[in-house]
Amino acid sequence: MQAAGTKDRWVWVARFLFLLPVFLLFFFFFIYPFFFTVLTSFTSWRGIGSMKFNGFANYTKLISDPTFRKAIGNNIIWALCQGFIQVPLAALVAMILVRKPFGWRTLRTIYYLPNVISTVALAMVWIAIYNVEGPLNAILRTLFGQESRNWLGNPDTALFAVIFQTVIYIGYFMIILLAAAMNIPQSLYEAAKIDGAGTLKQEIYITLPMLRGTLITTMTLAMAYGMRHFESTFLMTGGGPAYATTTMGIDLYLRMDALRYSEASTAGVFLIIMGTLVITILRKVFGSSDPMSEMAQ
Amino acid sequence: MHNTPTTKTIIANCLKWILLLSLLALAILPLVWLFVSSLRTNLELQTSPFGWPEKLQWGNYTKALSMASLPRLLFNSILVAASTVLLNSLVTSMGAFILAREQFRFRDVLYTILTAGVLVPVISFMVPYFSMITRSGLYNTLFALILVYTAVNIPVSIFLVTAFMKSIPKELEEAAIIDGCNFFKRFSAIILPLSRSGLVTAATFCFIYSWNEFVMAMLLTSSIESRTIQLGIKFFSSQFITDYSSMYAAVIITIIPSIAGYAFLHDKIIGGLTAGGVKG
Repeated sequence: MQAAGTKDRWVWVARFLFLLPVFLLFFFFFIYPFFFTVLTSFTSWRGIGSMKFNGFANYTKLISDPTFRKAIGNNIIWALCQGFIQVPLAALVAMILVRKPFGWRTLRTIYYLPNVISTVALAMVWIAIYNVEGPLNAILRTLFGQESRNWLGNPDTALFAVIFQTVIYIGYFMIILLAAAMNIPQSLYEAAKIDGAGTLKQEIYITLPMLRGTLITTMTLAMAYGMRHFESTFLMTGGGPAYATTTMGIDLYLRMDALRYSEASTAGVFLIIMGTLVITILRKVFGSSDPMSEMAQ
Repeated sequence: MHNTPTTKTIIANCLKWILLLSLLALAILPLVWLFVSSLRTNLELQTSPFGWPEKLQWGNYTKALSMASLPRLLFNSILVAASTVLLNSLVTSMGAFILAREQFRFRDVLYTILTAGVLVPVISFMVPYFSMITRSGLYNTLFALILVYTAVNIPVSIFLVTAFMKSIPKELEEAAIIDGCNFFKRFSAIILPLSRSGLVTAATFCFIYSWNEFVMAMLLTSSIESRTIQLGIKFFSSQFITDYSSMYAAVIITIIPSIAGYAFLHDKIIGGLTAGGVKG
């Protein structure tokens, strides 16, 4: 019994040591930063020196700051476009591809391709595409005789332009939805066919209800992404012109760059709250599906 | 029940293919345009955004490689991505082994917490990351990036590798225990080799992330010695201000590893994405 006891203890030590690196990394880069962000958001800390608490001063400042309000508004527009345009479009494509049209495998592979290419590279391409002398204006001029626009430089078109380019990332949601659609039992469709239901009816009464859980998951992911959007806008416009495309993430970065660390933390807290809010609202509205267990990226 | 194609189905078919092909165009034409532009002269680029180069200007690539410290930046990126993949694979394979193959209290809670990290908007942690890295003296080092990338990838990797390790039949391990394999042997001789496929999937995602990452690299490094290629093409593009074709060549060089990796491993990537999605 003694021998078994010591062996048991060693197994516990080994288990602990095996989990330790993951746990330490997770602690220092997820748990600690969260509390650090929340804590500093209530101070007037500027990166150096001691932290002085100033209550909700940063919060009231940010809420009354028109640029931060603009950022929240833009993030909400982003989230809505991602959840209610990007995901339905991805679902439509998945519903087409699940019927295995010619070349569906190749299409699936290519649709995902932009997701593995760096945002910096693609942002550079889109800057060139949206340029006054660029390809987009050239196409619109020859097809519709439209005058050249400065798509990213004009506050009226900039937000639309930076949101539109995300359509190239549709493959991510499409692949998740397609996999789920492929799991729907064929017998359901055969039964529907015997009952005389056409393709459209089959999609509405079989595919969509069967995809419900995955649709909620992808919408949650997409809208949470919209709330934290930063990179491609930062690279294409830097949040401009005149804050037309700014987001909470960009606002956070700019405040940090101006050494307003505690305000940046407050923006971070807002970002976390908005992201959590989106997830909670979607769960309340559509009932629960478990996005945690379905996350792959 | 033989259907002859009606006008309705023909229209539906046309609409279907218009959608599929325009999305296809959106996915690849920007890249094709970039590639073609990288082979044109600057004069050709200024004359018209479209058009085939009169003569393929492969010289743009040698020019790009000789400018903007591109080789150094490429080397840094390769080092960071390779180290991140190694460190992340090591750490997650060990952790996932415990989470997938051992029984203890709070195991499922721990797993849920670790994977829930996917939902955390990491960009909201710019302040603590910057402050932590600066205070630990790691600011402007490649190691800082390796550390952050390894950590940020943990939720995804743990999710993928644990799921994979869970699917290995218990009998294999039990046979090994009877044969006298201890804890480490079970890990190194049984579970680890059998999880190779899952580890490759996780490593692929990890590589793509580290190779393409921009925000943290911008935040945590400041000089060419520790900057990655993504920052290079963003910030050193001022060197190309009049030489767009070389800049496009530089961008193409940076995306070659991603495209090559995707060409070889796209099945793994798609499999990894759907590992979770099918549970719907």
